[in-house]
Amino acid sequence: MVLANASEARRSPEDILYQESLRTKWRLGFDRVIGWLLPLLFIVAILPIADLVYYVGSRALPTLTFQVLTSTSLTQTDALGVPIVSTAEIMVFATLLAVAFGIFGGVATAEYLSERMAGWVRMTANLLVGLPSVTLGYFGYFTFVLYFGWGLSYIAAVVTLAFFMTPYIFRTADLAFTSVPRPIREAAFGSGATGPQYIVRVATPIAFPQVLNGIFLAMAIGVGETAPIVLTTTLSTILPTSIYSPVSFLTALIWENFAQPKGSPLIDLAFQAAFLLIITVIALNIVVRLISYNFQKRIQGLYQ
Amino acid sequence: MMTTETSTPAQDVVMSVQHLNVLAAGKKILDDVSIDFRPRSLTAVIGPSGCGKTTFIRCLNRMVEITPGLKVDGTVLYLGQDIYAPGVNPVLVRRRVGMVFQRPTVFPMSVFENVAFGLRLVHTEEGEIDQQVTEALTRAGLWEEVKGDLDRSALSLSGGQQQRLCIARALAVRPRIILLDEPTSALDPMATQRVEATMQRLKEDFILILVTHNVGQAARVSDRVAFLHSGRLIEVGDTAAILERPRDPLTEQFITGRFT
Repeated sequence: MVLANASEARRSPEDILYQESLRTKWRLGFDRVIGWLLPLLFIVAILPIADLVYYVGSRALPTLTFQVLTSTSLTQTDALGVPIVSTAEIMVFATLLAVAFGIFGGVATAEYLSERMAGWVRMTANLLVGLPSVTLGYFGYFTFVLYFGWGLSYIAAVVTLAFFMTPYIFRTADLAFTSVPRPIREAAFGSGATGPQYIVRVATPIAFPQVLNGIFLAMAIGVGETAPIVLTTTLSTILPTSIYSPVSFLTALIWENFAQPKGSPLIDLAFQAAFLLIITVIALNIVVRLISYNFQKRIQGLYQ
Repeated sequence: MMTTETSTPAQDVVMSVQHLNVLAAGKKILDDVSIDFRPRSLTAVIGPSGCGKTTFIRCLNRMVEITPGLKVDGTVLYLGQDIYAPGVNPVLVRRRVGMVFQRPTVFPMSVFENVAFGLRLVHTEEGEIDQQVTEALTRAGLWEEVKGDLDRSALSLSGGQQQRLCIARALAVRPRIILLDEPTSALDPMATQRVEATMQRLKEDFILILVTHNVGQAARVSDRVAFLHSGRLIEVGDTAAILERPRDPLTEQFITGRFT
């Protein structure tokens, strides 16, 4: 049968374009709107970040030289060498501590604790993640600086920052170990593996990339933290000589330097430090993406 | 309980299950099951879904303890020793009673390392590992297909190959008994055929206990059939005898496919 026109064609239920009701029509339209809206929202989300990188970059780059990055000048008005090295050091030690506690806690929770206990531990970790960092900073101040008598020091900053980073690593480790496929777990025990043998030989290779992901994420969050640092140490212009020395940290330097009068060269330094931190955080996040991507490729077929 | 077996001397019994009960939240999953397993046999445990087949074989190497909430009561003797006696470590039981699961459960490592897994758990020497891996792969009927590249990822194998790899992994530690929990349920007919051929070869040297819901498979590969229904062992005996002349009406209903 030859149809008179297209609108007639749509009225026939045989036709692919036939729409049963107004509601169906509305749903299809809504679907389309969402399809357009999402990329738009993505742009809205990315704009402030792009603006931030551009603004900080434009303030920092003209004066940012190799000299600024490497010089360990004692005056700290024209160089970032000391805070860069100190930040790296603090991050390394805080990460080591956080990794040790986070992974140990995550594995123990995933493999050894009863469901009930594990639930409580997970809730505590979530609570710690949700806590404002300034609260944790004061916890560090009262506990390590005052109660333990470490003073405003290098070690107080490291331990407080480690406390801040641990729950992030704990959560990913716990998740990574609990999400090892159940049949794989049973096969390992069915082959005569003990609990620790299962954890080391089977679960760890599967969970490792995800845990690494959590570590880098925790580092990206930790390196940008200010409160746990400014409350537990005093800014120094030299590298620490002992664990009780005052110490420098990039975010803390930004915090201090922005309080300077307008036009001070210290403000330029703050922008340079901020730019450096932004680049570091972006780089860490890219590492996280790469790890996740390779991880997915590597264990394809495991979760069939 | 009805059996069609004639009694044979008790001394060649490798595993003897006596009055085994399993309870879950007050409900009986296994109800007074008693059965013996002797060398060079392939026993098929058949029965409808939910009859306790899988729970039954998981009791034979204490894998049942991995699932929380199940209470096992009764005696399972391995060469005369109760595997549930206090002080017996389930890990050591599982090294003597191997297991293959419904779906291939290869570990994300190389073919070689998968087979060597159980051997490395007990610190075997490298030379011996090489030899036993080769032997296990040959016995599992996979050697010809993988000998060219033992270092490839086990995840790159097909489903049927992965399942034979799992059999090789169980064989490598040289257990006396191998439990197979519906090993072909996730495989296509060709792969199923190869796994069945492997099982038939293996029963010359091992005691195989195969859980299957497929009566045809039981007929093809087993020499003894145990029929479970609602956690009770209804009858056990020679495959041909049971499948041709079942004594219990429940068994007959099941094998003729008239099960309700």
